[in-house]
Amino acid sequence: MARACTFDADLLRRYDRPGPRYTSYPTAPQFSPSFGEDELRRAAHESNAEPVPRPLSVYVHVPFCTSPCFYCGCNRVITRDVSNGVAYLTRLEKEIAMASALFDDDREAVQLHFGGGTPNFLSTTQIADVVASIGRRFRLSGRRDRDISIELDPRAITPDEVGALAATGFTRASLGVQDFDPDVQRAVNRVQGVAETIAVLDACRRHGMRSVNVDLIYGLPRQTTAGFATTLATVIGARPDRIAVYGYAHLPQLFKAQRQIDATELPSAEAKLDLLALAIETLTGAGYVYIGMDHFALPDDELALAQANGTLHRNFMGYTTHADTDLVGLGVSAISHVGSSFSQNPRDLAGWSSAIDADRLPVCRGVRLSADDELRAALIQHLMCHGEVPVAALERRHDIVFAEYFADACERLAPLVEDGLVTLRPDRIAATSRGRLLLRNIAMCFDRYLPAPGAASPYSRAI
Amino acid sequence: MTRPPVFPHADARSIADDGDDATFCTTCAFSSACLEEGVDKRELRELHVLVDHVGPLAAGEHVFRKGDPFDAIAAVRAGTVKTYVNDPDGNERVLGFHLPGEVIGLDGVDGERYPCNAVALDTVMLCRFSFPRMSALAARLPGLQHQLFRLMSRNIGAAVRLGNDATADQRMAAFLLGLSERLASRGFSAARFHLTMSRADIGNHLRLAPETVSRVLKRFQDDGLVDLDRREVELRRLDELRALAAPILST
Repeated sequence: MARACTFDADLLRRYDRPGPRYTSYPTAPQFSPSFGEDELRRAAHESNAEPVPRPLSVYVHVPFCTSPCFYCGCNRVITRDVSNGVAYLTRLEKEIAMASALFDDDREAVQLHFGGGTPNFLSTTQIADVVASIGRRFRLSGRRDRDISIELDPRAITPDEVGALAATGFTRASLGVQDFDPDVQRAVNRVQGVAETIAVLDACRRHGMRSVNVDLIYGLPRQTTAGFATTLATVIGARPDRIAVYGYAHLPQLFKAQRQIDATELPSAEAKLDLLALAIETLTGAGYVYIGMDHFALPDDELALAQANGTLHRNFMGYTTHADTDLVGLGVSAISHVGSSFSQNPRDLAGWSSAIDADRLPVCRGVRLSADDELRAALIQHLMCHGEVPVAALERRHDIVFAEYFADACERLAPLVEDGLVTLRPDRIAATSRGRLLLRNIAMCFDRYLPAPGAASPYSRAI
Repeated sequence: MTRPPVFPHADARSIADDGDDATFCTTCAFSSACLEEGVDKRELRELHVLVDHVGPLAAGEHVFRKGDPFDAIAAVRAGTVKTYVNDPDGNERVLGFHLPGEVIGLDGVDGERYPCNAVALDTVMLCRFSFPRMSALAARLPGLQHQLFRLMSRNIGAAVRLGNDATADQRMAAFLLGLSERLASRGFSAARFHLTMSRADIGNHLRLAPETVSRVLKRFQDDGLVDLDRREVELRRLDELRALAAPILST
């Protein structure tokens, strides 16, 4: 059942506090450098030994961008020198060989995703080579629902090149837009025309890609409701299957690029809420379904269908229809989720390169999940995907009495219940339509690693 | 909670580690035989029959190796022990999986050395008994001797079962039902348990390729016979599994 989300400015204002996005649990701050190559090998070995090992998802991180977008908090390297890409791909090829050897041959890869940075910093030929290399080393699924997807910067790809990607097997693309308002674009150093963007989107369709996503950001400098309304209308006019609307988190002490942003030009907290309200009203008004955590989809898109029939999942690549997979992250800063572990490659190009050059799996930190971690991860995953906590299923699967095991969490939930974000019954904990925009705040009640309220937090705010 | 624990999780009813110097563990393979004979654990200890509690052993640690001098048998108190041999080409042959309350080392009885290897698959606790002393005691206590014979014949039976031309589905069904019965007899849930052994070990034991193990289990799941979640399996349609396994179990 697709549930509505209700915009409640007062609630959002009060609950706008730093918190994780829960693409993993435990979250990245819990990753420890004591988790290294041996631990990853062991986790892979154990995952191969399961009665029916999970299928694989493969993520390839391409860290290069030709120019810095000032809002960006991603791991990337700014360069125009294409030879960087060549050297990177040589090492990536080695990593593909080393990583694929960890997994039994019968484990299919059902999902392959290129993220960045800017994956189309690479030429379409180079990208095709990487796909071919992965196809040789991993067992790419022949199933119809196999996904090969890529994040595209529409400024750096032609419609013909989109055709080349489709011919390589790409079935999904995600286009970065953020805002079409020229004033905003100049403030964030990303000037991008409407025509060129729509041309890329149309090319994705024409060449048979299954779905196209557009990323927007609210809370950028110089952003106005009038300007953002125009952007929304333009995007909706092109009818992408999915639209993500991210809140800009200004953390200049963490992300260097953001220091280029003039903080006085940022919208106030109130103006930011207005932008979010506008986005939600406009998108739902245009027939998009709210999936959760910034994501909207057309009702006939696979994400919306999966949410309706209870098969929606979420991993580092976002919401997905693919059931639990082991995730193999390749490239600088990539995160893997293998068996009962999370692990991450070095976040700097030099560290990643030297590990590969020394024939080592380039994992630099990670965490092995305890039984308690697994339980909470399952709970949070379900909450993020379906807006509710499956109390009975968790009790049964994990042999707990929910009310006892989560007595603390239920206590922390009490004010959220009072505020109408959550309904709390013995057999069911569910986000209300008001609470659906604050899923991470609900999830935080079940996170045993969160610092005490008031302590410094490494996370961005909820809105 | 009144539901029986899901192996390898244990509670007071299933864990075999609840004994002390004066009382047997509830799941001890020998307790009833000895108690019937009027021998309690204190006397056993005095007789230096009960050698010691061993463990915990971590996954991958060996209890004994082929060729080690045979001097003791051991009862599993917690975890799973795999017994195996290597053929002349160095290929492993899995002989069996031993669960709490079950005894390993019995196949060493007719010689001076262990004829196989025994390795812990997860965290394993054991009770180790001196075999020469136990046989001497058994000579005086017919009940204990009977129990030893029973354990040995069960061991042989387990090996015979898989020696026919059963299909992969039949083997898998018989394997799951066998585990279910053995665990239930020790106080664990009969319907839900963890497969503590790897799919390669299961395949080796059932003489199936690991991929076949996964394919059959996946089909069982798709057909609603079992439910799988990582290593945990739940038997859902027992009658159908029994019907499937009948050609093997009735031999």
